[in-house]
Amino acid sequence: MVTRVLSPLTDRDTYRRLLFLSSALPLGALWFTALVTGLALSIALAITPLVILVVVGLGVFVQLAARAECSMVRGLLDVPSYPASRLAGPPAGIGPLQRMRAVVTRSAFWKAQGYLALRFFPGLPLAVALLSLFGAGLFLITAPIHYRWIPQDGGAHGLDFGIWHAESLGDALALVPVGLVLLVLAANLVRPLAALWGRLAYRLLGGRMTDDYRPLTEAQLRHSVRVHGIVIGGISTLLIVIWAFTTHGYFWPMWPILPLCLPLAIHAWTVQVVTRPELVPARLSRGFMVQAGVSAIFAAFFTLIWAFAGFRVGWGYFWPIWPALGLMVALVIHLLILRVSPPDPELERRIEVLTTTRAGAVDAQERELRRIERDLHDGAQARLVALGMSLGLAEQRLETDPESARSLLAEAREGTREALEELRDLARGIHPPILADRGLGAAVAALAARSPVRVDVSVEGERPSPAVESAAYFVAAEALANAGKHAEATRVDVQIARSYGRLVVEVTDDGRGGADPSGTGLSGLRRRVEALDGTLQVMSPEGGPTTVRAEMPCE
Amino acid sequence: MIAEDQLLLRDGLSRLLRDNGLDVVAAVGDAPALLDAVAEQRPEIAIVDIRMPPDFRDEGLRAALRIRSSHPDTAVLILSQYVEPAYAAELLADGRGQVGYLLKDRVFDVADFIEAVHRVGDGGAALDPQVVAQLVSQHRRGSPLDRLSDREREVLGAMAEGRSNAAIAQVLVLTIGAVEKHIANIFAKLDLPPSESDNRRVLAVLAYLQQDPQP
Repeated sequence: MVTRVLSPLTDRDTYRRLLFLSSALPLGALWFTALVTGLALSIALAITPLVILVVVGLGVFVQLAARAECSMVRGLLDVPSYPASRLAGPPAGIGPLQRMRAVVTRSAFWKAQGYLALRFFPGLPLAVALLSLFGAGLFLITAPIHYRWIPQDGGAHGLDFGIWHAESLGDALALVPVGLVLLVLAANLVRPLAALWGRLAYRLLGGRMTDDYRPLTEAQLRHSVRVHGIVIGGISTLLIVIWAFTTHGYFWPMWPILPLCLPLAIHAWTVQVVTRPELVPARLSRGFMVQAGVSAIFAAFFTLIWAFAGFRVGWGYFWPIWPALGLMVALVIHLLILRVSPPDPELERRIEVLTTTRAGAVDAQERELRRIERDLHDGAQARLVALGMSLGLAEQRLETDPESARSLLAEAREGTREALEELRDLARGIHPPILADRGLGAAVAALAARSPVRVDVSVEGERPSPAVESAAYFVAAEALANAGKHAEATRVDVQIARSYGRLVVEVTDDGRGGADPSGTGLSGLRRRVEALDGTLQVMSPEGGPTTVRAEMPCE
Repeated sequence: MIAEDQLLLRDGLSRLLRDNGLDVVAAVGDAPALLDAVAEQRPEIAIVDIRMPPDFRDEGLRAALRIRSSHPDTAVLILSQYVEPAYAAELLADGRGQVGYLLKDRVFDVADFIEAVHRVGDGGAALDPQVVAQLVSQHRRGSPLDRLSDREREVLGAMAEGRSNAAIAQVLVLTIGAVEKHIANIFAKLDLPPSESDNRRVLAVLAYLQQDPQP
């Protein structure tokens, strides 16, 4: 017990952690000053183009500061290393506006700012408290040495604790155990506090690298507004309560609350526009709507400042008219730009399609790899293990029991054949050899030959690129398999042809229809085709016939 | 003569053939080397893998077809990791024997495999049961194959693999007389001209199986 309490005092880690915690003293203050300056500047310059410079600069600063903090957390708190690339700057070669966007839309930017602010509060007071505790402990332990040199009121020397004075060596010696207790207490506080801080740092600076590049979901966006609102609401309530208990008079909490509410309003409005497309009129863009809302919020902000500032002096000159006018002009310019070059809905739709299909392709590939891994693991690998065992046993029994060795060998041979069979099926499922060797025509003809139903195949045109060829093959394979298995078809027609730079695969059967386009087979195919920028349609009315049609671009 | 790009398999195959009293005059790793070696050594039989460097596609098959046209004396046995009836059709297109197309798995049954090597070398044919099964299954409802009894279809399959009457009798546990009777029935039901030689008989069956399956 005693050693456990005392051990932190002699542990080197304690002092490394203390060094980290007390580094908040200079750093917390530095970060806070810089952040407040940066944010204040960007709010003040919000309606000028200079804001871009300030925000990008803030982004660079936050990135550097967070990196410095990362290496300190890693070196002094022993929290596992951070993916530094998470905090890498925006990609090179983009315009200033996109650069700003890239900075502010990354959650790492905001999380890092939160972390830096936390270094100031509660980091800085915590550092002060811990250092005071250590200092007081050391001071009291060394009291017998220095008490006589500490001057007191009235010319005497010693330590003054208000109700008690330590003026003799005996008094001073009595202080030593008190100092020891304080020192031990401080040393024991360091580790848990540092652990808590490490976890905080990991949450805000670490985490998964990929999270950052994934667009936030609507639910996450709404959630962020809620959290923001709760934080601001809490601070505001606290300020109002303080005001109510102290001054009563002039409503000073307005001054901190107003600037706190400004980012909240902008945040809430932006999320509204992004998550509810119906708010954006047909001929306007999202960007315009965000700008209009933000302009209105700023106008209201300035008007409120004017109102509160002028409350006592009889309102006075309505200066907010000037920023409001500036905002109006900017808005009108934006509107004119939109009129001259309206947003391209086709382009926007295309971006959406590309985003979802890319996600689908990655997903499909992942699933496929997992399936192959599972097949290999359950199939060939297991068989080879069994085979090795049979062979080992056979070797053992060769001398003593040749008859059973012979049967084990026969077993091993059979096992090998089965393993080969499985691997062959697996390979055919990944990429059939005949497709690579002879192309789509021969491969689909081979498919047709294996099918239990009658299949007419027509394949025209040159060989497309391997990816398109393979997707076309699997469309035909899946449709043929479905026709045979589910549709009870007696005839299937497979047509593959090129038309206007697209490869069209059409499989029609005379079965009973009612195919489910969202089944695993067809939806996997759809992802595969869409990843190649193609489309897959399934027309399967109840009672048939079923037509599966895939189109993919091919040059 | 062996052409196989995987060293392990090439050595294994050489050993297996030598152990069974066959003489391996050359073992090469790709198609050009195979063609050179065939031109130089004039072997009785070349055992060839389909996929070989540099493209890892069907160069073995194409080399086999060239051997068949330029060196008709050399029999060709294709050993492959996979079988495609379409490839079998190409190999058999010239209507001559001296050709085989087997899965690599068949090597496991050493006696059967050596027997197939001898058969191909002697001018016969050896076709993998999987190829035959696929060819037979291509003939769907309403084809003349429906008229065959199950036993007759088994005999047809064994015949298409290139086996002799005696071998068929052994595999299916029948007397040679019974096999001959089944074969006569098959030929009658499929309207094929009767033929004495084993080899020509096989080719006739295969030609029948490969014709357009639609009735």
